[in-house]
Amino acid sequence: MASDALDNSVTLCRSCDLVIRKRALPTGVRALCPRCHTQLYDTPYCSINGMLALCITAIIFFFPANTYPVLELEFLGSMRTTTVLEGAIAVYQQGYWVVAIAVMTAAVIAPGILLVSILVQIVIIKYGLQHSFLRSVLKQALKLQGLLTQLTMLEIYVISFLVAAFNLADFATVSFGFGTFCFTMLFIMNLFLLREYDLEHMWSFLEQ
Amino acid sequence: MNSNPNNSTLGKQIGLTCCPTCNKVTCAESACCSRCDTKLTIRDYASLQKSWALLITAAILLIPANLYPITTLTNQGKVTQDTIFSGIAHLVKTDMIPIAIILFTASILVPLLKIIGLTIYLTAISFKLPISKKNLMIGFHIIEWIGRWSMLDLFVISLTVAVVNMGQLLDAKPAPAATAFALVILLTQLAAKVIDTRLLWDRLESKNDSRTNT
Ligand SMILES: [Zn+2]
Ligand SMILES: [Zn+2]
Repeated sequence: MASDALDNSVTLCRSCDLVIRKRALPTGVRALCPRCHTQLYDTPYCSINGMLALCITAIIFFFPANTYPVLELEFLGSMRTTTVLEGAIAVYQQGYWVVAIAVMTAAVIAPGILLVSILVQIVIIKYGLQHSFLRSVLKQALKLQGLLTQLTMLEIYVISFLVAAFNLADFATVSFGFGTFCFTMLFIMNLFLLREYDLEHMWSFLEQ
Repeated sequence: MNSNPNNSTLGKQIGLTCCPTCNKVTCAESACCSRCDTKLTIRDYASLQKSWALLITAAILLIPANLYPITTLTNQGKVTQDTIFSGIAHLVKTDMIPIAIILFTASILVPLLKIIGLTIYLTAISFKLPISKKNLMIGFHIIEWIGRWSMLDLFVISLTVAVVNMGQLLDAKPAPAATAFALVILLTQLAAKVIDTRLLWDRLESKNDSRTNT
């Protein structure tokens, strides 16, 4: 039984090890494990060119999102602004490097590496699948994908702009900067990019 | 469901296993995944101990995270230190209820629910408690999903510290609980990540799932 099940018609639930026979799904439907409701697979609608466009747009927004002011505070006539990067540096300078590393990783480093990694994956799939070195780069990138998506917390950072602004409204006049717009756009591009992205489909390019 | 070979055949029973990194189905005898070279194990029994260790450390750190101040605020020369709880209580007093609810959920409710939830989950596996597996698994999926929202407070602190920096007039600084809180988030996320959830379905026998396998 083991050998005839290996022909891709059967899959295992990764949460509970149940054997599931794969069936064709209508578009937009995702198969759940009948026993534990873990996601199993969905119809791959991953378009490489669409992803490339989204990925490049997101990378363009990435730089202003991190370097332009996201919050502006006016207090007794003087003006203070902060960027996402300065936020992490400020806690680091106070000696709270654990917090600084957590903030940097979740808001700047992981999203940045994630975007570059997806760009590299797409370029290799489009042009470089015949080189063995590039294939191994693609393999490493796909192995890292799960970790990088987990560490990327752009959506939470977007909400934190609002919370911080309301928190400070008590003491001073607070407004949002150009960086807030770019960061929100970066979040939206990233959201659509990851909705289009299908890890199983990306792995299948390596098996050809 | 009729299309399944049997309603409750496990991969383990027919000599198949699923790669933890790339989800490829492989023969259980092979040592490495043929697609991504990850080491394969049919079940990771050590994952329970690892998860317990991380969870207990996180539970201990939750105490300083809530008792010690998380921010120090200087306003016109007057220094006040806020714990997570007093910060939220202050927001309630100033009528910013929606923000208070968001912060309360992210900083108090989520870490606490996560630690309690994971403790129930791990106890159920380790001591074979008769709790419905389906409910445990639904709880586990919720825990995995909401856990990251605790980061919200750290983001707010970092933005506040950077923008409120005007010497004696108005100044905000992080305080010791911030590090403890960051570690609680990190450790609980790891504790949920390392558990081999397949162990739950192997070990527990509940009424709705007692039909025996072939
Ligand atoms: Zn399952
Ligand atoms: Zn693999």
